[in-house]
Amino acid sequence: MNQSAQLKRKLIYIAIILACIIPLYLLGRPTGGGDDAGGQLAQMRNAYEFSEANLGEISPASSTMKLATVGMRGVAATLLWQKAHEYKVKHEWDRLRAALNNISLLQPRYDKVWEHQAHNLAYNVSVQFDDYRQRYEMVREGTEYLERGVRLNRKAPRLIWYTGWFYGHKIGTSDEKKEFRVLFADDTEQHTRLANQGLPIFDARAEGPNNKPDNWLVSNLWLEKGAAMVDAGVKLRRITAINFFETGPKAIFKFAEAIEKEGTYNEKTQDAWVRAADGWAEFGRRSLPTTSNITVRLGALEDRLEEHGRVFDRFKVLCGPLYTEREKELVGTLTGTYLDVYQKDPKDRSKAEQRLMPEIKRLIRPDVKLLLAELPADKRLKGIELIDNMIQLEDRIRRIEGYREQINYSYWESLAMAEQEERTIEARRLIYEAKKFADNAQLKESLEKYEEAFELWAEIFDDYPILTIDDSADDLYESVRQYMIALDSNDLPEGFPLETFVELMAEESYARVEMYEEVRETQKEKAAQRRRELEEEERKRDAADAEQAKADAEKAAEMKAAEGNQDTSRDAAAEKAEAEDKPADAQATEDKDNAAEKADEEPVAEGDKISEGQAVKEEAAAEKQGANEAGSDETPEQPTSDGNPAGEAAAENQPPPPAESN
Amino acid sequence: MNLQPDDFWSVQQWLFRDGKVLESAALKGVVLLVLGMLLGALIGYVISALRYGPGEAFYAVAKAVRDFFIVDLPGTRFQRIFALAKLAFTEARRRKVLFVVALFLLILMLAGWFLNPDSDDPARLYIVFVLTATNYLMLILALFISCFSLPQDIEQRTIYTIVTKPVRITEIIMGRFLGFLAICTVMLLPMGLASYVFVVRGLSHSHLTAENVQRDEQTGQITGETDYVRKHKHKFTIEPGETQGLTDTLRGHQHLVTLDESDGEMNITFGAPVGHLRARIPRYGEIQFYDRNGNPKEAGIDVGQERMGGGYAQSGMARLVGVAKEARKLEHSYVEGGRSLSKAEFTFSDVDAGRYQELGHLPIGVSVRAYRSHKGKIDQVIHYTLSLQNPKTGARTVPRDFPVDEYVVAELPFPLKSEGVVRGEDGEEVTRELDLFEDLVSDDGQLQIVLKCVEGGQYVGVTKSGIYLSDGESRFGWNLTKAYISIWLQMAMIIAFGVMWSTMLNGPVAMLATGVCVLMGFASEMIYGIRHNLDAKINLGGGPIEALVRTLKQDAMTTELDVEGFANVVIKKADAVIIYGLDVIATSLPNLPRMVSTAEYAAGGVDIFSALLARHAIVTLGYCVLAYFASYFILKSREIAS
Repeated sequence: MNQSAQLKRKLIYIAIILACIIPLYLLGRPTGGGDDAGGQLAQMRNAYEFSEANLGEISPASSTMKLATVGMRGVAATLLWQKAHEYKVKHEWDRLRAALNNISLLQPRYDKVWEHQAHNLAYNVSVQFDDYRQRYEMVREGTEYLERGVRLNRKAPRLIWYTGWFYGHKIGTSDEKKEFRVLFADDTEQHTRLANQGLPIFDARAEGPNNKPDNWLVSNLWLEKGAAMVDAGVKLRRITAINFFETGPKAIFKFAEAIEKEGTYNEKTQDAWVRAADGWAEFGRRSLPTTSNITVRLGALEDRLEEHGRVFDRFKVLCGPLYTEREKELVGTLTGTYLDVYQKDPKDRSKAEQRLMPEIKRLIRPDVKLLLAELPADKRLKGIELIDNMIQLEDRIRRIEGYREQINYSYWESLAMAEQEERTIEARRLIYEAKKFADNAQLKESLEKYEEAFELWAEIFDDYPILTIDDSADDLYESVRQYMIALDSNDLPEGFPLETFVELMAEESYARVEMYEEVRETQKEKAAQRRRELEEEERKRDAADAEQAKADAEKAAEMKAAEGNQDTSRDAAAEKAEAEDKPADAQATEDKDNAAEKADEEPVAEGDKISEGQAVKEEAAAEKQGANEAGSDETPEQPTSDGNPAGEAAAENQPPPPAESN
Repeated sequence: MNLQPDDFWSVQQWLFRDGKVLESAALKGVVLLVLGMLLGALIGYVISALRYGPGEAFYAVAKAVRDFFIVDLPGTRFQRIFALAKLAFTEARRRKVLFVVALFLLILMLAGWFLNPDSDDPARLYIVFVLTATNYLMLILALFISCFSLPQDIEQRTIYTIVTKPVRITEIIMGRFLGFLAICTVMLLPMGLASYVFVVRGLSHSHLTAENVQRDEQTGQITGETDYVRKHKHKFTIEPGETQGLTDTLRGHQHLVTLDESDGEMNITFGAPVGHLRARIPRYGEIQFYDRNGNPKEAGIDVGQERMGGGYAQSGMARLVGVAKEARKLEHSYVEGGRSLSKAEFTFSDVDAGRYQELGHLPIGVSVRAYRSHKGKIDQVIHYTLSLQNPKTGARTVPRDFPVDEYVVAELPFPLKSEGVVRGEDGEEVTRELDLFEDLVSDDGQLQIVLKCVEGGQYVGVTKSGIYLSDGESRFGWNLTKAYISIWLQMAMIIAFGVMWSTMLNGPVAMLATGVCVLMGFASEMIYGIRHNLDAKINLGGGPIEALVRTLKQDAMTTELDVEGFANVVIKKADAVIIYGLDVIATSLPNLPRMVSTAEYAAGGVDIFSALLARHAIVTLGYCVLAYFASYFILKSREIAS
């Protein structure tokens, strides 16, 4: 081969190499900072926020490990997983942890890995130890592992949620919960570690009754952090929004329950329940995405039902006498029992008959679409609009109800309400003390406390029947049995306050399920009633307080005036009086609102007591309508967004938290 | 560390298996040697037959055998071997294999990423890491060094510069082998040293300040805590009047505490960690379980813990020919607590009175696990009792109660005199103080320790190695050296195999063949397991072909193979042939995992049994001799052929 041929060949090689390098350069050029967006890959990384720095904390160890496996990362990870399992079977815990550490170096951005292995440590491995302190150590290892995952994955809210879950449920509901909770409260090293991660663990929000961090409240902190992450726009994956957001407030419920079980019955307990109620209410106000294109707020059921009622009323107004005519026709088709029940005075209807009413009402409700066909042409367009609006509202209501049912929304709502009452806390305290006395063989004192407690419980159950099917009902039932043992009797004494409750608890479980359904139906009504009672009480109390304050202030002012020190002190007293007047005024305004609400609700209460849901609302509205046809003018005009689904959804979407939907 | 039955065998027991000829290592060795020689001769015959025809080849082989025994072997001279070894050494050195040491040091430097000094037993983690890292690195290195040299020489015809000299084939092979072994040894030494330093330094830490120090007003005893370092803090006590004390044992170590009150204040300093690098010398006994009715049983209760496979290899040839079928594996067996008669009885032989008399107590090491069948008292650990018992007279001490401390070895010094029950001459049992050597150790030097669980419905688990009498302590450095000797032996074996294959095949293929031998050695228990499933008709996915079919069809492995008729028969038969073939090959290969597992001893703080090391040495020697024979015949026939 001559030299020129060789040179030619080399030149060709260089040309080919250059030709390959140019597209490679265009593809893979890193960003130069500033305006230079870099090559195609760098741009894509940026667009999808896929670069290491975007995903979470940068870990040089992990990057080196990944490089060191020279493209065999998958194989290495698989082998390590296998090894990890082997170590678990062989109870080689140290090596298991080392293997898990290596796995996490190889797969640091794969959130499921963190979750799986942390669960492995905290749940599966921890129970292999006999000593609860060692178990706790393993639970801590698990949570630490998970937290490392959280730091490395800035866009995995589920990991945060899971961390919160560990702190709450693993520590707070295991068999060793009592010991675990104490260990956690005293684990200062862990607290410092958590504080270093930016969790406000020494905040009052995380403080349990003994002024140390409480696991449930720390769980709540994590879950709130997760919620904040989602609110900041990170997408939820592998977990439904409803499940994600309900866990946070529930941790406070659990906290309150836990401290009660441990014997704390003071203002801290009450605060805890108030916090739980607030948390739940806030959850109710949160926009949750649904499987379809809309978002819902679980606490907005009443509003939506009312809105539906209003639209329905407007439709009836639009139909004029046509509606009543059609309704009358349908009433005419009723036969037999249905007719009898319908014609009875609502007050005379038996419980069974009351239960028939929704069906009867459904039968006598004219079909809006048929009515629409009969409407004059000029009203038809408006009719269509209203019907559309109703259909959308119905869909929304159905969804809200479905979701509420999924997590038993109203149960938790009533629970928080019932438990924050001093009466309930007192009842629980009495039971606790009675048990303590019984344990110390002080039977007389124990019996007294029990009796006092049962009286209170009877009242509570009257107001909150839903508590009879609660977990704590089992505990109470157990207390009744303890009471019987203490009495040394197989029968309960005459006029035992909890007689009905005991009968209920003695039922087979399926019977209790039926009863549960019934209780759930009545609970809402009861809760509303109780709320009114409480508000009334509070109003009276506040009014009395305000009166007292006013009197005091006047007295003080008079006294000061009498002293002749007119300029300064009188002003101060007046200011004070004013200041104390203000809440009373505010209360008065609120009361007015309440009164208005009550007035709105009255037809429901007076009418058929089956209550619940839209049927009743519609019916109530219908009755009102029927009673006062001329009054139809009073029906408030709907806002212009009627019949505009997008506008509607947007309305649902309003803050507090911005949620993605539509 | 969970020892297996064969770990306890002495060299003699292993070689002859007390009359179970089929299971003995001696038989396996003889069979392998004969087979090896036959195979070598056969390959030699085939090679020369290709060149000279079958008749001539027979004579050639016969001549080779004769030459080996009459000419080459007696004529082998050490000087020539040494010269050749030196050559091989230099050649390997020039190929820059020493960089592997640098690689090892690099791995050690990066080890901080894999190793967590905060773990419960960091010593274990560190030791296992250095030993396994060295082991695998050296095996790979041995593989590379040994396979390429000879084929390269033959290919480049540089071999003629040697064979034209008055050297014998025996010397060429031995020279290569020793040369490679020497260079690997030279590399192993700094690696061992670096490992030692790494482990000792890696585990070293110091507690600087004392916290919560309190002096008891009445007794004058000082108690306190160390600071929080590496996720632990110790508690310590200094007895009144003393200036030194000890911390409690945490993560396998303690610190010496020194008190200095010279300036009127309590200045407390802590020494370096001690006790985490151990090499206990245990004496194990025979274990016997009893069920809840007090009937002797082979094993205790199985509480259903998941188990790993394996444990077939210990049956030797008996398994290959189908006489022994079951896996022999020691797992934790549990004894029931409460009023049940369930217990585990350990019988120790040759209990030497003098030694313990000197010590002033009977040192017992215990490692047990607990299992709960109900919650019980959740804030309390399960307890077990130990009592000493004379196997002949039945005299026994009152049981002593201990809490279960899982995954650590509890060292319990038993007093030489303690209260117990003994049968008097009138046959009545009397309670009195018993002397260990007069009442409890029988005339033939036997002593029993009885383990029971205290809590009803709960269980305590133990294996044969769970309770031992301590025969003293060896040095950690020496134990690590023993582990390195084990690595050296493995290396020697691989080099012998590498040289053998390289006499016949070219470099890469020889390396592949040696690699396959190593891998099959590592996978032998798995192959035995599949063979076992095949024999016992356990459907777990079948052999390689069936497994492939299932993978492609995405069938679960526990279902029947979804292939009809003739194809099914063909798959099953072909699989059987493959599995049995693999079984034969795997049986004839060294069981490397067993040798690698000596690292477990060092890590577990147990002195590597000399018998175990001796057995490994014998195995290595055996395979080296085998490879030597084979190499000779193959090279000889190639010499004849060329």
